[in-house]
Amino acid sequence: MVLIEAKGVHVRFGDRVVLEEIDLSVPEGELHGIMGPNGAGKTTFFNVLTGRVNMSRGRIRLDGEDIAGLSPHAIANKGVARSFQIMTLFDEFSARENVTMALPSFRARGFDVRHALAGDRRIAEEADEVLASVGLGEKSSVVARQLPYGERRALEVAVALAQRPRVLCLDEPTSGLGTDGSRRLAELIRRLKGKLTIVAVEHDMGFLFSLADRISVIHWGQVIARGTPRELQDNEWVKKSNLGRFG
Amino acid sequence: MPNTAAAARLVTPTMVALWLVLATVPLWISKVGLYPYLGVEILIWSMYALAFNLVLGTAGLPSFGHGAYFGVGAYAFGLCQFNLAPNLWICLVAAIAAAGFAGLVVGLFISHRRGIYFAFMTIAFAQIFWTIAIKAYPLTGGEDGLLRIAREPANFGIVAFDLKGNVALYYFVLVLFALVVVALWRLVHSPYGRVLSAIRQSETRAAHLGYNVWLYKLSIFAVSAAFSGLAGGLFAMAQLSAFPDVMSLNQSGLIVMMTLVGGGLVSFWGPVVGVVIFLIARDVIGALTNAWMLYFGLMFVTLVLFRPEGVAGMIKSLLERRALRGQGSNALRLILRSG
Amino acid sequence: MLDLLPHIVNGLVLGLLFALIALGFMLIVGLMEQINLAHGSLFALGAYLALQLTGPNPPLPADLAAQWLQLPLGWRYALVLLIAPCLAGIVGIAVEVCMRRTYGKDPLYGLLLTFGAAMVIEEGIRLIWGTRDYVLPVPPMLSGGFIFQDLIWSTYRFYAAGIALAVIGLVWLLIEKTPYGAMIKAGAHDSEMVRALGINLSRLRLGVFVFGTMLAAFAGIILAPIWGIRPHMGVDAVIPAFLIIVLGGVGSFWGAVTAGILVGLAVGLSGAYASEWSLLSMYILLVAVVSVRARGLFGKKSILEA
Repeated sequence: MVLIEAKGVHVRFGDRVVLEEIDLSVPEGELHGIMGPNGAGKTTFFNVLTGRVNMSRGRIRLDGEDIAGLSPHAIANKGVARSFQIMTLFDEFSARENVTMALPSFRARGFDVRHALAGDRRIAEEADEVLASVGLGEKSSVVARQLPYGERRALEVAVALAQRPRVLCLDEPTSGLGTDGSRRLAELIRRLKGKLTIVAVEHDMGFLFSLADRISVIHWGQVIARGTPRELQDNEWVKKSNLGRFG
Repeated sequence: MPNTAAAARLVTPTMVALWLVLATVPLWISKVGLYPYLGVEILIWSMYALAFNLVLGTAGLPSFGHGAYFGVGAYAFGLCQFNLAPNLWICLVAAIAAAGFAGLVVGLFISHRRGIYFAFMTIAFAQIFWTIAIKAYPLTGGEDGLLRIAREPANFGIVAFDLKGNVALYYFVLVLFALVVVALWRLVHSPYGRVLSAIRQSETRAAHLGYNVWLYKLSIFAVSAAFSGLAGGLFAMAQLSAFPDVMSLNQSGLIVMMTLVGGGLVSFWGPVVGVVIFLIARDVIGALTNAWMLYFGLMFVTLVLFRPEGVAGMIKSLLERRALRGQGSNALRLILRSG
Repeated sequence: MLDLLPHIVNGLVLGLLFALIALGFMLIVGLMEQINLAHGSLFALGAYLALQLTGPNPPLPADLAAQWLQLPLGWRYALVLLIAPCLAGIVGIAVEVCMRRTYGKDPLYGLLLTFGAAMVIEEGIRLIWGTRDYVLPVPPMLSGGFIFQDLIWSTYRFYAAGIALAVIGLVWLLIEKTPYGAMIKAGAHDSEMVRALGINLSRLRLGVFVFGTMLAAFAGIILAPIWGIRPHMGVDAVIPAFLIIVLGGVGSFWGAVTAGILVGLAVGLSGAYASEWSLLSMYILLVAVVSVRARGLFGKKSILEA
């Protein structure tokens, strides 16, 4: 069942065409990778998918439902979660508080002014569970600003997971991580495979090739290649590009 | 935001201590060379500053024209008294409703913005309100404002309190102050308050988590305006008049300065501290020199540059450092935990 | 229709002066990525300084003052047009130095700081000159009016338009034809590169800030006889400056000039229908424009979007 379907997505900023007639479809449960050089339009595609940027033309559907023009919060409430390339955590909040903000059980109480938040045990426990699943179980009370970089990346993923999404969009999740960090993140994502639909934009080809079911290559705003990792290994462009070195 | 025991309570020890201290003020204020009306002013401005800080400190929105809602409350109180019913409760409700409505209308225009755009819009709207106040003579009394507003008695049915004396007025306002403090403390520490704080830290992240950021900003702006209007109505009653000056950008700027100097960016009580500092500076230093406001402005600029956490923030850091070092009594720790 | 003409002229004059204020404002926003809320109070300061210098009590030692006052008003006025902006520029230096700590931080601090600076300057003005309205003395050959086509025209308005055009032209020359202008444009585009090229970025910023301040102060002196001199006249200058860069775009010289003229015309024409409320049109226009304008520029995010 196709969960995400993008057809003819075309995005212009002024007179600059950033995405040109992009077609992409992601079946439920697939881990779909998106790669390509900087400025190719990968993050813009995410921005379109999550409602942050409007398409000039094209069609984009989530589970058959047209989501073009919806605001980010409306799309998030339909089950799309995303992490950002430039981290956007709530720096003053602790790890637990960051995750709490994402939990559907908390979000439902967003306009509650009658009750105090501090004493709620159940929500704290739920948040701690999510933190444990990304390996941050010990750090739940640490203020996000004070976490080391690798753990902040993990927290970013935790927050996206806490939304209990159907689609998880990861924008360059290994950015800035060393080999160890990337490996841990890859393990985490491998554990999530099949349980969620995942779309991951990445530079780290080794990371993508070991995890993705299929990969789309975007360059100059167009999909220039698509296929399974094995198929792409034989692709001329992939072989020639600087990104063609992985291991 | 402290995830402490105090945050979970409706009424904290700090609040009770503060109210007890405030309750004794009329007894000794004349003896220190001040006067009971100053107490009234401190309470009214504190309410206003706490309301304002919902928008600045909690939600992170720079509202430089908040005087508009304080002013709308003041005018609504007076106009209600002259034209609708000379009843204290009705007039206060009118003040709250009018100011809240004004905040709602303005909010509809500005809630999808933040930062610089937001700030300029609040300034533009404040100027619009102020111009109307000055020019619409038949309605607002023009530059003179509404005069001869009366202090109607606080009638509870079985007993009524005459509020014409400043001490009686002081206690009446103190009760309202206590209620406002309880309400705002709860609001700030509720899930709603937490979402606002998150929006302040990252609107993008909040939106992508599924929060309707526009609606949150709109609602807090309207709520803040409503409470500011309550303070404005009380002000009109205390001053026996309502005039355009309170809507001026100068006055709007004062509340920003007081709130930041006191420590509103990091502490719930910051605005109150700021109001006390400002009014004491006005009366004590103002008696010595005409330039006291200039000094206050310079202090504001200095704090923004070097200590934006303000006085309350500095006190908090000091107490925290001493508590960490094991010094200080249990009382200190109690104060710290009460936020 | 013909009786709208004086209002149109009013509007054009206002527009040119608004453009001048906005250009100074825009240069600062472009290069420092900071909104200077104190721009309006520096505009006011220019007017007040001019008032003091041309008036009966110039701040000079007694014998110099006596010589100064003997000069015809025309000479004094012309010299003050040059001197007062320079003095305001000195205050501008102080503001810029204070702003340095806020560069790179959350833009809220820059807003709060310049807001505080605006209040301090305004309070200083209040202390020195009080709150009453003043009138700036203007040389007789610039004041008064003349009759043309059965309408009375104000001489001063034409002078104001002319001199505003001249200064706008000077600004254009500076930005387009001098190396300083190139540096400013480069610095606005890419501050890292400018630094790498060995240009002293902080000195450039200081220079631009002072220049912007002087433009604002100059505009204040020219507008003073039209608007009158009051302590909070600054707000009526900074709001249109912001509106103009929103309309014209940050970094566009002609955008600022065109938008300035449009805003000025809006104010001038509304003066034809409701003269008491004409300035209000500026604020309503700001609200309308910011409400309706698309949510930011998709490609280049300007500092305004932060």
